[in-house]
Amino acid sequence: MAETAPDVEGATRDSSPARSWPGTLGLLAAPVLWLAVFFLIPLLVVAGYSVGILSLFPTDAGANLDDWSRFLRGDSVYMALFWKSIRMSLTVSLIVVILAYPLGYFLALVAGKRKYVLLLLIIVPFLTSYLLRVLAWRVILGSEGVINSFLYSAGLREPGDPIAWLIYSQFTVILVLVYVWVPFVALPIFVTLENLDSSMLEAGNDLGANRWRVFWRVTFPLSLPGVAAAFVFVFIPTIGEFVTPSLVGGTKGTMFGNAIQSLFTAGLDWQIGSVLALFLVAVVGILMLISGRFLRLRNLETG
Amino acid sequence: MDAAASPRGRRGLFAFYLLLVLFLYAPIAVLMIFSFNDSRLVTFPLVGFTTRWYGLLLENQELIEALKVSAIVAAISSFLAVGLGILASYAMVRRRFRGKAVTSSLLLSPLVIPYVVFGIALLILFRAVDDFLIPRFGVFFGLGIHVVVIGHVVVSLPYTILTIAPRLERLSSKVEEAARDLGANPASTFIRVTLPLLVPAIVSAYLIAFTLSFDEYAIASFVAGDVTTYPLFLYGQVRIRIGLPQMIAVSVIVLLLSMVLVAGTEIWRRRAESRLAV
Repeated sequence: MAETAPDVEGATRDSSPARSWPGTLGLLAAPVLWLAVFFLIPLLVVAGYSVGILSLFPTDAGANLDDWSRFLRGDSVYMALFWKSIRMSLTVSLIVVILAYPLGYFLALVAGKRKYVLLLLIIVPFLTSYLLRVLAWRVILGSEGVINSFLYSAGLREPGDPIAWLIYSQFTVILVLVYVWVPFVALPIFVTLENLDSSMLEAGNDLGANRWRVFWRVTFPLSLPGVAAAFVFVFIPTIGEFVTPSLVGGTKGTMFGNAIQSLFTAGLDWQIGSVLALFLVAVVGILMLISGRFLRLRNLETG
Repeated sequence: MDAAASPRGRRGLFAFYLLLVLFLYAPIAVLMIFSFNDSRLVTFPLVGFTTRWYGLLLENQELIEALKVSAIVAAISSFLAVGLGILASYAMVRRRFRGKAVTSSLLLSPLVIPYVVFGIALLILFRAVDDFLIPRFGVFFGLGIHVVVIGHVVVSLPYTILTIAPRLERLSSKVEEAARDLGANPASTFIRVTLPLLVPAIVSAYLIAFTLSFDEYAIASFVAGDVTTYPLFLYGQVRIRIGLPQMIAVSVIVLLLSMVLVAGTEIWRRRAESRLAV
């Protein structure tokens, strides 16, 4: 094997072919190809359907932007449904962050030595089956469920007269989604608060500011990147949600994802379905770009 | 003086923590109680204690079949995802190349795709493929286990990278250099030095991918064809409200198994990594 010059710098090491086995291309070929073929191309096929280049039935109209323009002008029910889903996801994300913040604060700054055990206790439910957790709420809130049947048997309500809004409503969907995402979001907030320089808090204190002032002027602003990340971490999966609404939402709790799902499975209008699907991807993508930039800027500012 | 909270504040925060723990565990506890309740209906008042729902599981062929399908899908898809994840992590951590930022965005992008969109995308891709293949060659790709595996590999891949790459980053390249200086060729350095040091992270990544796949409903609901995975079976039973106590019982078993598995391997991983200490 040919000897290269004694390498002191990483750069020379990288340029030596023998040193960089396996080659970068060889390493990346399989994962990148897998994603290209089974992730990017499927999305391109969706794009093709959305403009009628591809179609479910050979008799369909051919290339057109009809469904795009109808959807974007708001002439169909779907735009209203989209905004309703946005409102629901925003509500869920807001509640989750409000619940998770004191939790993260407690674990990172107050709990002391036991904090990892206490954190684990919060995260364990997140590791359990998603369907199971939704199922649990169905069992609890259903019209013959735990709460209502308890009320019947305690004589507080007439049998057959359940509290109607407990299940198949927007309330239920929001409650269940909050339940599902709280453990997950405690994590980024915890990490941000834990990495705070505690000497800053003490300095604020020593300078005579009371705890609330220190919190609002120092701790909270410094933890904003974690809060923003947490918000996005909940918002993105909930905006495309369709399983939870279909199990506990009924017609009132229907979300955008349900419309997409039913257009492909029951309605068989793949063109408008593709329009909605691609629009959702675009919304999520733009959101990621904005939040990515925001988070990076914040990181630079705080060093 | 404690800067983070006053004694009253500390108590308040702790109370809040306990309330949230209650909120998180109560529904799961309710499920467990009803899995031992001697009634077909999941309603109050409780009738009596029984373990028959657990016994009936062993006779439920459809359920066992669904669990088997999910185990196979999860085993294969997480194996592939971890393999691809090791390759990608190694390239991202140990190599410098043009287009690295784009590559990293591509590798992590499945994290943010709504599963409903990815599910339908796979569905119509394979429809289009079959529309092309059938009239020309008389063969077809179809839907089923293989497509579920393909989809699960895509969504698990970023998780395996996020598990393996940080470990590789902490693992000093000096160890690899030392092996090479001692005369090991690059291939045996990778296989005999780098990989063994990565084993704890690889095991974590495999488990994460396995649980993700085993529990995944949304993608499978579009591309499973006439195959039934465990989440699909569970969903169907929940909707038609038949055999609910049995479904709860099997969920409880799966739940306890996954908790033990996850906690166990996490402890094992920490120990292993501190023992390796590189």
